Amino acid sequence: MDESATPHTVLCGRGDAATGLATALTGLGHRVSVTDPGDPTIDAPADMAVFVPVVPSAGPTPLVDLATADWAAAAEAPMRAALAFARACRPFVGRGSVFVAVVPTSAMGGAAGFAATATAAEGLRSLTKGIAKQWGSDGVRANTVAVDPGLLLGDAAGAAMAAGSSLADAALTGSGDPFADVAGVLDTLTAPGARFVTGSTITADGGVWMAP
Amino acid sequence: MTGLLDGRVVLITGGGAGIGLGMATAVAEHGAAVVLAARRLENGEPAAAALRDAGHDAVCLRCDVTVREDLEAAVAGTVDRFGRLDCCIHNAVGGASRPVAVEDVEPHLIDDLMATTVRASFDLAQVAHPHLVATAGSFVMMTSAAGMEGSPNVPAYAMVKASQRALAKSLAGEWGSSGVRVNCIAPIAMTPAMASAFRANPDLESRLAARTPLGRIGDPAADIGPVAVFLASDLSRFVTGQTVVADGGGFLGL
Repeated sequence: MDESATPHTVLCGRGDAATGLATALTGLGHRVSVTDPGDPTIDAPADMAVFVPVVPSAGPTPLVDLATADWAAAAEAPMRAALAFARACRPFVGRGSVFVAVVPTSAMGGAAGFAATATAAEGLRSLTKGIAKQWGSDGVRANTVAVDPGLLLGDAAGAAMAAGSSLADAALTGSGDPFADVAGVLDTLTAPGARFVTGSTITADGGVWMAP
Repeated sequence: MTGLLDGRVVLITGGGAGIGLGMATAVAEHGAAVVLAARRLENGEPAAAALRDAGHDAVCLRCDVTVREDLEAAVAGTVDRFGRLDCCIHNAVGGASRPVAVEDVEPHLIDDLMATTVRASFDLAQVAHPHLVATAGSFVMMTSAAGMEGSPNVPAYAMVKASQRALAKSLAGEWGSSGVRVNCIAPIAMTPAMASAFRANPDLESRLAARTPLGRIGDPAADIGPVAVFLASDLSRFVTGQTVVADGGGFLGL
């Protein structure tokens, strides 16, 4: 990929989180194409392919009270969609490209009341490592960016999810634009300085989750 | 052996063979009554009979974990037969294990992995929950070091196995106030599937053993079984949301 050109980022997602990240990346100089996880399509080489799971913004629900359809939507659909997005990406990523999954930090910590979302998130983190191992020989990197649950669930459910996780208080105050705070990390992953970073989870939540 | 699990009842999906049967054997030897929930009765029935011949309480119930009604029947059958359920281990898994590229994962493989791992854990958790609350019991799911490391060979399998750890952590939080513990086991042991892989690739066993600090592949009953005994017993009464890696030290990432 030509480092001097405008980076092309394909973002697979839907709703406020996808829109917020796409807008913030555009502000950082990326040309962003958004594709829907229901039928992800790509038609041009991508410097970065970002998967943002569609996370239900419902409040906490104990797993024993969760309807099967809601489990399927929150736990299973994101993993299926990520595989479909990876398949769609494969012909359009090459040396220097990076695949990124954006997940809530509950991937690592779990979250009472949000078991389905956490289940999907940890699956996505493993899938990203698998992609890093399989596509690395072609110079493609793959990383996970773990974010404050509120970025994906909205503030109210995000706060409830944080309360249901083994999470501490944030060490940092954000800039006030949480999408920009995360987009900066995504942008950095496309920079030449990140060329040796793959299979990694970068937590960008202001220092709430500090476990390895 | 110890009577550690005397009076306890343990249900194991995929209990008719491999690691499931190894864990069943171990918990039975420590005094538990065991239910082998097996999709294939031709595996499960003789296995249960062998456990009975050895003096243990064991039954086989036919159970396809991808069918919620089968899980309901297995749990109901367990409680009908033995009066309680103390520990439920979701061990069954489907999906071909041959290497596949991420971009080539076929829909039927995704469906198999989702149904046997992600959906079955959800269904079994819902079905078993009231009985586990009644005994302040233990819920166990099988995960894999491949899930934690990411897999260059079976990335979709690794994905669904990894997901079980976050489910365990979440349920540990939800069920802790009822005294129900939720944990995962990440095993490496000689299963029928692994044995056939070794037959197809004779170097594989020695290469795998050489990468393992303890220098060998685990035995389902002798090496993985004690972990199930621990998680089914009061010895693990303060352990929840965790993954016990029983693989001879092959994975050191936790």
